[in-house]
Amino acid sequence: MHHSVIKPNSWVALKLPSGVTRVIQVTPNTSISLGKYGTFPANLILERPYYLTFEVQDKLPEDSFSRLRVVPPSELYADVFAEEDAECANPAAGPGSNNDAVIATAAGEEFSLVDAESGNVIARSTQEVIDENARQKLTQAEIEELKRDGTNAGKDVIAKLLLSHAALDQKTSFSLSKYKLLKTKKYIRRFQVLPIDVPTFSNWQLEERDASKILDIRAEMMGLVGCWGNVHYGGEDVFLEDPKATTEQGEEALAPLQEDLLAGRWLVVDDTGGLLVAAMAERMGVLYKEDDDETEEAAEEEDEETTEKADEETEQKLESETTSQKDTEMADEPTSETTTLARHPKRPRDNKPRDSDFAVPFSQTNTITVLHGASQPNLSFLNYWNFDVTAPQHPPHPLLNHLLTLSWLQLLKPELDTSYSTPPLTADPETLSTWKPSRRGNFHRKRRRYARVRHMVDSTRAGNFSGLVCASTMDPISILKHALPLLAGGAPVAIYSPSLEPLAILADCFSVARRTAWNSGHVAEIQGKTAEELEKWEGSEQFPLNPTLLLGTSIQTSRARRWQVLPGRTHPLMTERGGADGFIFTGWRAKPAEGKIAAKGKFKRRKVEETVSTPASA
Amino acid sequence: MTGTMTRPTVSPFLEPGLHTKPRSLAILQLSRDNLLPIYLQEASGEHDGYAEGAVVNTRYGSFPHSTMLNVPWGSQIRASKVDTGSRGRKRKRGPKDEASRDDAEENQPETTDNNTNATEATGVKQAVADDSGFIHVLPPTPELWTQSLPHRTQVVYTPDYSYILHRIRARPGSTIIEAGAGSGSFTHASVRAVYNGYPSSAEDRKGKVFSFEYHEERYHKMKKELTDHNLDGLVHLTHRDVYNGGFLIDGKSPEADAIFLDLPKPWEALPHLSRRKPQTEAKEGEEWTSPLNPKRAVHICTFSPCIEQVTRTVSAMRRLGWVDIDMVEIANRKLHTIRDRVGLHYQTDRGVNVSPHDVEEALERLTEIEERVREQAARPRGGEDGAEDADTAMKNGDDAAKKDGDKTSTAEQPPYQTPWVDGRLITKGEPEIKTHTSYLVFAVLPREWTEEDEAAAFAKYPCGKEKAVVGSIDKQTRKKERREQLQKIGDRKARRKERAEKIAEAVE
Repeated sequence: MHHSVIKPNSWVALKLPSGVTRVIQVTPNTSISLGKYGTFPANLILERPYYLTFEVQDKLPEDSFSRLRVVPPSELYADVFAEEDAECANPAAGPGSNNDAVIATAAGEEFSLVDAESGNVIARSTQEVIDENARQKLTQAEIEELKRDGTNAGKDVIAKLLLSHAALDQKTSFSLSKYKLLKTKKYIRRFQVLPIDVPTFSNWQLEERDASKILDIRAEMMGLVGCWGNVHYGGEDVFLEDPKATTEQGEEALAPLQEDLLAGRWLVVDDTGGLLVAAMAERMGVLYKEDDDETEEAAEEEDEETTEKADEETEQKLESETTSQKDTEMADEPTSETTTLARHPKRPRDNKPRDSDFAVPFSQTNTITVLHGASQPNLSFLNYWNFDVTAPQHPPHPLLNHLLTLSWLQLLKPELDTSYSTPPLTADPETLSTWKPSRRGNFHRKRRRYARVRHMVDSTRAGNFSGLVCASTMDPISILKHALPLLAGGAPVAIYSPSLEPLAILADCFSVARRTAWNSGHVAEIQGKTAEELEKWEGSEQFPLNPTLLLGTSIQTSRARRWQVLPGRTHPLMTERGGADGFIFTGWRAKPAEGKIAAKGKFKRRKVEETVSTPASA
Repeated sequence: MTGTMTRPTVSPFLEPGLHTKPRSLAILQLSRDNLLPIYLQEASGEHDGYAEGAVVNTRYGSFPHSTMLNVPWGSQIRASKVDTGSRGRKRKRGPKDEASRDDAEENQPETTDNNTNATEATGVKQAVADDSGFIHVLPPTPELWTQSLPHRTQVVYTPDYSYILHRIRARPGSTIIEAGAGSGSFTHASVRAVYNGYPSSAEDRKGKVFSFEYHEERYHKMKKELTDHNLDGLVHLTHRDVYNGGFLIDGKSPEADAIFLDLPKPWEALPHLSRRKPQTEAKEGEEWTSPLNPKRAVHICTFSPCIEQVTRTVSAMRRLGWVDIDMVEIANRKLHTIRDRVGLHYQTDRGVNVSPHDVEEALERLTEIEERVREQAARPRGGEDGAEDADTAMKNGDDAAKKDGDKTSTAEQPPYQTPWVDGRLITKGEPEIKTHTSYLVFAVLPREWTEEDEAAAFAKYPCGKEKAVVGSIDKQTRKKERREQLQKIGDRKARRKERAEKIAEAVE
C-alpha cells in the first residue's frame, strides 16, 4: 500500500528530463518507449524501487534491448557540487561559515564584469539566446547525426555541443549553466519512476492534462479540503450479519439497519471524476491494496493471471481509443468500459460458504458515500488505482466495501427509483435449479443489487455523517439544503469551488444579520415550526438555508509559491500556473437550541483581543 | 477514575461519537474566532464555590458543565443564571491577586480549576437558563485545536500542515518522525493522518507519530496533553536534543516513512536520517541503525523561516542523497463576505455609506438641490450681497434636501429592515494577513538498491521477450497497430453478430 517497489500492471508516472510526465501501466514483457529519450523493457523497472533515476544505456552488442543504470545522486547534483566546492576553495570565502554572503558578492562582481550599466545584463543574456544558433558551430545535420549514433545516454551530444559553442568563454557562469541545463534537458536519456498516488496524479492532471476535469483543484486546496473536512480513518470495519436469506424470501429478509453501528462516514459530492473520492480514500486508508511482504506471494499468483490477460487488456484499451478517436500515443486514460480489472471472471474459490444474496457487503464504518447527479457516478479516475465502480464482479479492492454511491433521486425520492422500489425477485430452489446458469446468475445479481441499493439508501437517509466534502459544479446552496440535515452535530463541512462567487453567496446565507433575524422571532415564515421542521428547512427567498445550521463559516484560499534553490541563485520561480484560484468554504454543523434565543448584552464595537487560556484538566 | 475499560478510550479527536462525554476534551465556540478548550466534568457537588458544579464563565454568560454534558456535539448551549458574586467573597485571596483576577473575569473567559476539594455533597444545584447568551460546543479536531491551543512556541497552522501532510504522504498506517513538537498542532494533525487504530500489543504495528522535543518544560506539558487527549498509544514523545541524540527509540529504529523537521538547524539533524552510516559520524566501527523504513522511499519536509536556513538545508540534503528537492512557501488568505450598502435611501447605520449609489441617484439629488437654490434665490430679500446670498442659499438648500431626504426615506422604509438582502454582496480580505510563515523544503530519499537486489529482480523479470511497445511509438508502428486493431474489431463485431443471431434462433 505504500509503494515500496513497482508492481506488475500498476500505473506509474515517468518523469522525463524535459519535465514532461508520462503515465503508463507497467505491463510485464512489454517495451516502454520514451520517444527521443529511448526505449527499454518494462521488466527492467519491475520490482525496482520508486523515485530512483534511471538512465537508458546504449545497447550492448550482445543484447537486444537497452539496459538501465541507476544514476546516483552525486551524479545528479554534480554541477551544484562543483559550484559549491569552487566557492569553498575561494580564499575570499570565510571558513565555510557564511557562504551566502560570499555568493551574493561574487554574483555581483560577475554581473558588473559583463556590463557596468544596470539592466544591460538581462538584455545581453537574451541576445545570447537569440544568437545561439549562429554561435553554435555544429550544424543541425551534424547534431542529428550525433544524436543518432550518440552514445553515453546523450552526454556526448551535450559535451560536443558545449565544446563547439564559439562564444562559450564569453558566457557568464550563470548563463553557461543555463545553457548546459537547457541542452541536458533536451538530450540526456534519463527518467524517474513515481508512484501514482493522489498528489502525483492530480499534479499531472492539472499541469499536463485537462485541469478543468478536476475543477483546477491544486494540492494546497486538496490538503485544505481534507483537513477541514476532518477526513480520516473512521474506525475498524464493522459488518452486518448475513441474514442468510433464502431465494424464496423477499424484502422481509433484508438485514435491518443498525444505526448505532454507523460511524466514521463521510458524505461526498464529487465532480472531479473521482479524484476527490480518491483523495478521501487515501486519507481513510482504503485506496491502496495491501501489498506488504506477507501478502506478496498471493499478489504474485494474481500477477501471473493478469499477465496472461495482458494482451487482451491492451487490445481492449486500444479498441476503445480508436472508437473514441483519442490520441493513441499514450494509453493513459482508462475509460470505464475498458477497465482491465472488470474482466476477472475467475475468482479464487475459497472454502468459505457463499454469502447469501442479502448480505450487506459494506462496512458500517470508515465509508465514503458519493451523491451523484447523473444515474451513474463518474468516478473514472479511480481506474488508475485499479478500481472500477461499474464492474459487476470486481477483484478484491478495499473500496468495494467502503464506497457507497447513490443518486440524488435515490436519496430524496427513493420511491421513484426502480432499483430501490421494485421488490426483489423470489424463486423456490427447485425452479431455480431448472434455469439456465445465465438466468440464475441474473436472478442472484438482481437480488444482490436490491439489497445493496436498499442498504445504501437507508443508511444514508439515517444521517449522522461525520462530515461533508464537496467539489462540485452544482449550486452549493442546493447541496447543503439536502445534505445539512444528514450531518451529525459538530460535523465539519468543506466545500471546494474553483471560483469565489458561489461560495460567497453561500456564506452570505449564514451571515450574522440573517442569523440574528432568524433567532429574533421576526421571520413570519418560521413561526410555529418545530425544530425538526426547521432542520429540514426548504428555503425561502430571503432565507435559502436555515442560517443557524452552520457555525463558524469561513472562506479561504491557499497558494504555494515555488522557489529555485541554487547556490547564489535562490529566488521564486518566474512563472507558475494561473487560471482558477480555488477557494474553500468551511463550517460546522450546529444543533440550534429550541425557541427564541438572544446574544448576551448590547454589543459595542470594540476590538476583541484574542484570548488564550489554558484548559483546566479533569 | 471510575469505570473499568478493557481497551483504551479512543481519542475524541479521532472518534468523538455523537454526544459530549465526561472527562473528554470539548471546544467551546464563544464567538466566531474565540474558541476555548475545556475538559467537561460531571457535577458531583459544589465546585469552587459554585452550587452547579464546575462552571465556565465567559463574557457571553456562565455555563455550568452539567448543561454541556451528554448533549449532541454542535449543540447551542444557553447561558445559565449562576451566582458568581457571593462566591468571589467566600474565597481567600490576596488583594493583589484579587485585583488582577477581577479584571480577568470581566474580559476573559475563565475556566474553573480543580484545585479546591469539591465537597462530596449530593445536592447539586440544577442550572437555571438565563434570558440571553449562548455558546456552541464542538468536538475537537486538529483545526480547532490549532486555533485554541495554549501557545508555547510558534504554531504550525492549518494551511501549512494540510499541505505538508499531503505532500509527505502521511496516510493511515504511516510512521512519522516529528522534531520538535512545539505546541503540538502538527502532532495532532499528523496523528489524525496516520491513525488506523490503536495497537493491540507492542508488536502490533499501526500508524504512529514519533515526536521529539528538547525543551524540558514543553515536553512535560505536551506529555500531559497527549494523555488527556487519549493519544498515548499513537504518539511516542521523547525528550531529546536530536542534533546529537538522533532519532532511535531505545536503540531501535522507528522505521519512519515520513519526517517533519521544525528545527532551527535541520542540517544538523539530517545526517541521522540516512540509510547508511553518514560520513560525518565520528565514531568508527560501531553498529549504526537507520531510523528510516528500509523498504520505502522516505518523504521529508523541513520548516524554516529564513532563506539562509533553506540554502544550508538544501545543500545538506543534496550531499546526503535526497532527490526531488522542492522549496515552496504557502500564502493563505481568508475572505469575509459582507453586504456593501451604498445609497441615499439608507438610514445612517454602521456599515452603511449614505452617498449616491449611482449617477442617477446623484443626478436626482443634485437637481433637487438646484431647484431649492433657485426657489430660495427667487424669494425677495433686501440689503444683502448677491454672491454671499447664493452661497447661503446653496447651503440651506443642501441642508433642506438632506432633511427632506431623511424624511422621505423613513416614510418609504418598511417597518422592519432586511439588512441581510440589501446592498451588494462583496468579499474582503482579513484586516491582517500572514504574509510569511516559513519556507517548506520537501525531498525524497529512495530506498537503497544494491547490486544483489538488482540481480534478483533481473532474474525474476528477465528481458528479451517483449511483445508490445507502450508509450510513444513512431508513426509507422502506430499505423500498423491501428490497422490490426480495426481488423480485430471487425472480427469481433462479426462474431458478436453471429452469436446474437444464434441466440435469437434459440429463443424462437
